[in-house]
Amino acid sequence: MKKILAMLLALAMMLSLFACGSGGTPSDGDSKTSTAPTETKQPDQQQGGGDKTAINVIISQYGNYTQEWWTQFEKDFEAANDTVDLNIEIVSWNDIYSVVSTRIQSKQQPDILNISGFADYVNDDLLMKAEDYTSEEVQKKIIPSFWESNAIDGTVWALPILASCRSLFCNMDLLNEAGVTEAPKTWDDVLTACQAVKDKFGDSIVPWGLDISTDEGQAAFSYYSWNFGGGFVDANGDWALNSAENVQAVEYIKKLIDSGYCNSAPYTDTRYPLQDAFSAGTLAMMIGPMNMVKADSTVNYQSSSIPGKGIGLGVCDQLMVFKNDAAPDQDARTAAIKAFFDFFYDCERYSDYMVYEGFLPATLDSSDYLASNAEKHKVGGSDATGDSEYFKTFCAQLPDCQFYPMQKSEWMDVRNGVISAEQNVCQGSISAQDALDNLQNEIAG
Amino acid sequence: MRTKKNPITRAALYLFVFVVCVIILYPYFVMFTTAAKSNDEMYAIGGSLLPSVWNWSVFVEIWQDAPVFQYLMNSLIVAGGATLLAILCGIPAAYALSRMRFKGKGIFMGAVIMSQMFSPVVLLVGIYRLMTNMGLTNSLLGLVLLNAAFNQAFAIWLLRGTFTSISSEMEQAAKIDGCGTVQALIRVLLPVAAPGIVTTLIFVFINAWNEYTIALTLISSDTLKPITVGINVFYGFNFIKWQHLFATSIFATIPVIILFLCIEKHLVSGLTSGGVKG
Amino acid sequence: MKESTKLRTNPEQKAEPSTPNRNQAAPPKNHASLKRRVEPYIWLLPSIVMMGVLILIPIITVFQTSFSEISKAGVFKGFNGVDNYLWIFKQAAFRTTLKNTVVWTVVVVGLSTIIGIVLGLVLNEKFHGRKIVRAIVVFPWATALIIQSVVWKYIINADYGALNNLLYNLGIIKSYVNWTATPQAFFAWECFVGILVTVPFVTFCVLSGLQSIDTSLYEAADVDGASFWDRLFRVTLPLLMPSLTVSTVLNIIYVFNSFPIVWTISKGDPADQTHTLVTYLYKLSFTNQRVGEAAAVSVVGFVILAFCASIYMVMTLRAEKEE
Repeated sequence: MKKILAMLLALAMMLSLFACGSGGTPSDGDSKTSTAPTETKQPDQQQGGGDKTAINVIISQYGNYTQEWWTQFEKDFEAANDTVDLNIEIVSWNDIYSVVSTRIQSKQQPDILNISGFADYVNDDLLMKAEDYTSEEVQKKIIPSFWESNAIDGTVWALPILASCRSLFCNMDLLNEAGVTEAPKTWDDVLTACQAVKDKFGDSIVPWGLDISTDEGQAAFSYYSWNFGGGFVDANGDWALNSAENVQAVEYIKKLIDSGYCNSAPYTDTRYPLQDAFSAGTLAMMIGPMNMVKADSTVNYQSSSIPGKGIGLGVCDQLMVFKNDAAPDQDARTAAIKAFFDFFYDCERYSDYMVYEGFLPATLDSSDYLASNAEKHKVGGSDATGDSEYFKTFCAQLPDCQFYPMQKSEWMDVRNGVISAEQNVCQGSISAQDALDNLQNEIAG
Repeated sequence: MRTKKNPITRAALYLFVFVVCVIILYPYFVMFTTAAKSNDEMYAIGGSLLPSVWNWSVFVEIWQDAPVFQYLMNSLIVAGGATLLAILCGIPAAYALSRMRFKGKGIFMGAVIMSQMFSPVVLLVGIYRLMTNMGLTNSLLGLVLLNAAFNQAFAIWLLRGTFTSISSEMEQAAKIDGCGTVQALIRVLLPVAAPGIVTTLIFVFINAWNEYTIALTLISSDTLKPITVGINVFYGFNFIKWQHLFATSIFATIPVIILFLCIEKHLVSGLTSGGVKG
Repeated sequence: MKESTKLRTNPEQKAEPSTPNRNQAAPPKNHASLKRRVEPYIWLLPSIVMMGVLILIPIITVFQTSFSEISKAGVFKGFNGVDNYLWIFKQAAFRTTLKNTVVWTVVVVGLSTIIGIVLGLVLNEKFHGRKIVRAIVVFPWATALIIQSVVWKYIINADYGALNNLLYNLGIIKSYVNWTATPQAFFAWECFVGILVTVPFVTFCVLSGLQSIDTSLYEAADVDGASFWDRLFRVTLPLLMPSLTVSTVLNIIYVFNSFPIVWTISKGDPADQTHTLVTYLYKLSFTNQRVGEAAAVSVVGFVILAFCASIYMVMTLRAEKEE
């Protein structure tokens, strides 16, 4: 008897386990868009019961209100295209590479992905050619240099979602008080200005913001190497990481740290707290994107080109489309994706998103439009409207910017390599020449 | 352990407790004051300790800026469900391990402990693939099952430790009185083992409440995110909203503290009734 | 002395499994003994099913991956034998990481166990405000690790961090201190946070272990005129051993595999000097896109843990046999 009871107990527990297992199926029907629960659960298989084509999109989180804008977009899009079931997922930049990598390894890649970098996916033949899913209208809209920047050997694999450009920001009140009348123009000027700020304010102001963290250390490498005359690649487009100019640039970074001009932990400080510190007026100078100063900041700042050669860093994240051989109806899928891009790049809607996030448009018509109509759109999470002057100024700066050589397949290794080199050199464990020589050998040798 | 209290031991005891409490509470003090500070004050060098103007509105704003309540509910469902499942499966296993003798016991104990030797971070890809096949990605149920599974070893080991330290004589007596094994387990062993069960319960609940990486990878709908993942909304591309992040964090801590306060009584009652008669 | 030996034998009696009695009590009928042989497995079944499906399958995937070539984008390119293992052992960062992981585990588990025992003993005493203190001790545990880590990252920041602010306002320091000047300092802070979040668990294991100690043992010891230390080392600690070993083993595994603290505070920077195995493999896998190599690192970590655990298993099994 007792044994039977024991078995019953165990059985009941197992049953409860399995009951959860199957009973739960409907419960995740409450995920937000589901008309057909099976579709939401296995989003990429797209079979579902209905005739709707499911399109899964992963969008990177650009601001605190990214989710809201895309939720509205999803509603509007589905209202306009009733044969498409659009699922938009917002993933933060902290996690997007791990999320996407996991999905690809599980063969569950999204249909449309917004990320930075695409060469690795092309190498594995995972992407569709851009011309296969963009209408002629969209192709014409996109600023030609951006369209071409996503090409490998003449084939375009991704579309630019937005652009930003990095330049030097100076807190003019602080500089003036320290006796510096204008923003530094050369790298020597920078050292002078830093010393002046340090002399005047001591510990209470950080003269120069530096981020050589795992997060974005390659950006620092670009600022300094390009503006010392070096860079990632030579004139032929081959890797040239150990050029004399690059060595000089990395040594300069070390000098900034060793002279005590920088924030205390450049190895782990990311750009974001530095930007906030700048907005709060406790950081005198840093290089950052055009929308880095907080809207409510009272700092009297000036943005100017990066010292030295004056080359800004342009960042242009991409939208790309993955192949899906399992899709039941390839034509319907492609049509839905085409519709997505037509809808997204629509001048007013796209401009609205640019104002909302504070980034620069990658299309010709929106650039023109925003130069005078930004006030018609709202900034995310506030009642403030866009500023046409802002778009006019920074859109004009974009042509002077250089971009990361993302179309090269070794890019991710180079990116991580230069960060590691910067950190090792600044820690004093290796000379700049040796670190960059090693990296060059590793990448190209 | 009762000590005869002289004033010096007493003072030392209070001092020790005081120092520990200060260290523990300090981050919460920081979270609370920083949440109420303006951005300028937060980044001020040599600024004041407390906000000059308390910006209480942030504690209201977070509820409007993001579905924080929904996130909290999701966390509650996941942690509660996982705890229940882990304990329900863990008790019979721990009972068998502490009261029965059978072949493969050592192997099973070893396997249980081995199962914990890979951090979930390592297993992400495998987990995602598995959950896709089971159709449980982007569902709270998937999270419940995974959290229960990943805490199963802790539950079994903790419960087995408790059961083993309790004499089986009382159950024997109950059985002689005509109780079945199951009845003896429920009526005799479980009440005595209450403190250990409560510890296990808290442990599993907190682990599941705090789980981050699995939820991050599996959940794609905003409405299904638990609080640990949902809080990312304040951790954007261009700005970190420290004030919002900290304010939300404080609210995320409160449910666990309340749960603990409710359950702590049982820990104490276990103390009084805990005449674990030898 | 007589008294103390008696005290020591007592817990062992209590811990003794009752199975032999039951075996004697039940007549060895055939189908009954079959049931008896099957019964334990039925009790174990729910656990086995759950862990077997949800943990074992992903673990198999990791082993497979560690012998595979995986492209940067995450596509399987075929098996490549032990190449991934050879690669990781060539990395200087991997050796630093191994060293760090050992330091991290030993320091965090060791110190938090000691602090936890002391705190558990203190919280078992009756004093004013004990209830509040018990609730406070849960705090670090009740806050998600990722949040604790973010807060501490902010606290120790040298430029605008809260700790400098506090000490400055209290007049303890005149100018801001760079708390994280060296990688070692960074790592020490990470250990500190690790200890802080681990102590509550140990404390509550100790507290719940203390509840099951028979008070009459202390009375006996009092009669015997035992000192404070006698009672601590001859009664309390031996009787706490079962719950302490469990919590320590779980802690070792848990701390060894801990991810959010190190990742949030330093991401292994500067120059990969502050990694533990888990953050290192996370960086390999998701920042450097070396998935195969990362899986190899996790298998190495597993082997190390399994080795330590099997030593422990052998020891406990031997101890159980001696009983």
